[in-house]
Amino acid sequence: MTLRTLVIAGFCALVGLVWIIESGAADVFLEAARPDFQKIPLAIAGIENLGGTESPEGRVKLGSRIEEVLKTDVRRSLVFALVDVNGLGIKAGQLGAEPDPSFKHAVENGVSVVVWGRAGIKSGNKDSDVNMDGYVYDAGNNEVVGGKRYVGSTSVVRLMAHRFADELVFRYTGEPGIARTKIAYVSELGSARELFIMDYDGYDPRQLTADGFLNLMPRWSPDRRFLVFTTYRNRNTQDIDLLELATGKRWTLVSQGGLNITPALSPDGNFLAYSSSSEGNAELYRMDTHTKAVQRLTTNAGGDLSPSWAPSGRELAFTSDRSGGPQVFLISADGSNVRRLTFEGDYNAAPAWSPRGNWIAYVCRTPRKEYKLCLITPDGQKRVQLTTGPGVDDSPSWSPDGRHIVFSSTADGKSHIYMINTDGKDLERITFTGTHNSAPTWSPAS
Amino acid sequence: MKTLVVTPLPVILGVLLLLSPACSRKAVQSGGDTRALQEEMARGGAKGGASSSFPDTSLSGKDETSSLRGFDRNPLEERLGGGGHSGNGTVTPGNTLMAKSDPGGAARQLAEIRAEQTASAAAGLRDVFFTYDSFSITDEGRHALANDAEWIKSNPQAQLKIEGHCDERGTSAYNLVLGEKRAKAVRNYLVELGVVPQHLSVVSYGKERPFCTEHGEHCYSMNRRGHLVVKVGK
Repeated sequence: MTLRTLVIAGFCALVGLVWIIESGAADVFLEAARPDFQKIPLAIAGIENLGGTESPEGRVKLGSRIEEVLKTDVRRSLVFALVDVNGLGIKAGQLGAEPDPSFKHAVENGVSVVVWGRAGIKSGNKDSDVNMDGYVYDAGNNEVVGGKRYVGSTSVVRLMAHRFADELVFRYTGEPGIARTKIAYVSELGSARELFIMDYDGYDPRQLTADGFLNLMPRWSPDRRFLVFTTYRNRNTQDIDLLELATGKRWTLVSQGGLNITPALSPDGNFLAYSSSSEGNAELYRMDTHTKAVQRLTTNAGGDLSPSWAPSGRELAFTSDRSGGPQVFLISADGSNVRRLTFEGDYNAAPAWSPRGNWIAYVCRTPRKEYKLCLITPDGQKRVQLTTGPGVDDSPSWSPDGRHIVFSSTADGKSHIYMINTDGKDLERITFTGTHNSAPTWSPAS
Repeated sequence: MKTLVVTPLPVILGVLLLLSPACSRKAVQSGGDTRALQEEMARGGAKGGASSSFPDTSLSGKDETSSLRGFDRNPLEERLGGGGHSGNGTVTPGNTLMAKSDPGGAARQLAEIRAEQTASAAAGLRDVFFTYDSFSITDEGRHALANDAEWIKSNPQAQLKIEGHCDERGTSAYNLVLGEKRAKAVRNYLVELGVVPQHLSVVSYGKERPFCTEHGEHCYSMNRRGHLVVKVGK
């Protein structure tokens, strides 16, 4: 069955979010690639090198690095279509703050936005600051929208590009963009598993814990200041801890017998949902983060775990094996209205509710017993398989713009972290070092 | 079969409203500020252990201005990464610091793990292996546990830990639940054999501490186990 779409143009203009899906096999057609959204053709005329390299021994010039990172960010934004400037006759280099006459030809060839700039260390001193100037020309208004001027050490060169990319997305969508977001994850050090954080593109990994045993399944606070995660205290008991990124301070939120796993803060940060077997088998609980009052949400003989909040904060998706193998269920935030969401296959787990609310990603076991990513609408009406092939896929987590999913997979042997668009395109591996990287979780945007 | 999906405008607006505070928080940028870490440690640092109260994790009542400033015909200079000096354009993202853990804690854990391995080997404890997706004790497992039960009864001073382990297939989270079911199945059978429950504790490691890291059934069957350990330390 082939993928086919229809557009109701008037409705699209009115509502902005209308799409029609022919449900079927592995066809994926999701909001990120919705037919009413036309990517904006954007050309990067060039980031001129003003001098200096990324590192004293490095050969990559600063402007070239910023241009490369900016191009990747622009492509991954899925807001812009990056136009190849070769053959467009755009003048590269030695451009001022005004649009070059050569842009005219590019505009005639359909380019809507032209970006250019310059970056580098102006003085001969290698310890001097890096300066970046970037400009944006909009063909629609036939004007320079404006520019940005960044300054900082060579350690923030990638951040300059990320920040510029997010400004572009913000200018054209009103959304903050994802280029400055982070991914927290678990990485193996010896036989221990510790928390790490990295940029959304896999760069700049930083170790957050050094406990020497197991720290598992981090989740962000909505303000990006904290992570909640499961930690094994003295190897024999599990606690749920809160870690403040800026200070490295830690607090224990849940400390009791049994499993205490899969914590998740609500979208407003006022509640912590988690699974605990302290009263027998794994059940869902909800803690008020202000009063510390705990409410039990589920009561049954099966294991309930992996709560994931709807963006409204009124519902959660979770895994339960109350009907045999694990399946995805929904529950209201007060514990009422439990209903099963997934019925296809005998193993569906690790749900992640999209930040736009319209899809839930989860791990589905295929008829060939492969653990892949699937997507389902909260009403259960549409279901699609997002990934295929060998390897165990796990821990899907949405980008804050709802256009990408990060997850772990053993597709290349060792467990590594991958990113995929929600339309199933642009599968990219983002970790390349280490023996085991898992449990990625995407930060909110800022 | 075609199906029309229409997201009502109020829902979109509601989602946008809910998302807007999250969109506007200040950036947390990793910067590895070792000087601040040293200062913190010099002051005694934060404890690696528990604390009875914890900070406000909610979004309410916080600065909701976006850290993005938009393009400008005459842009102000924005300093990235903190430090230095500049005017109104200053951007001072937070850094990330390594959490301070119990000094020597990792080394102590490793030493205790080795001591447990030695003690368990000396006791001749036998592990229990499970089939795929299952937490039922097999006949072979019953034989192993009969042996283990005798040892525990003749060593009443010992505390035994039953670790539940899983193979790499399936999700990390659900394997923690499956691992606990395996560990509890082992405990329950030992109790049936007359072992005093107070001498037994269970912990699930899911698929996070595999005995064997290759892909394939040989390795998977080694990793689906209830591992019996003579407890050392706390």
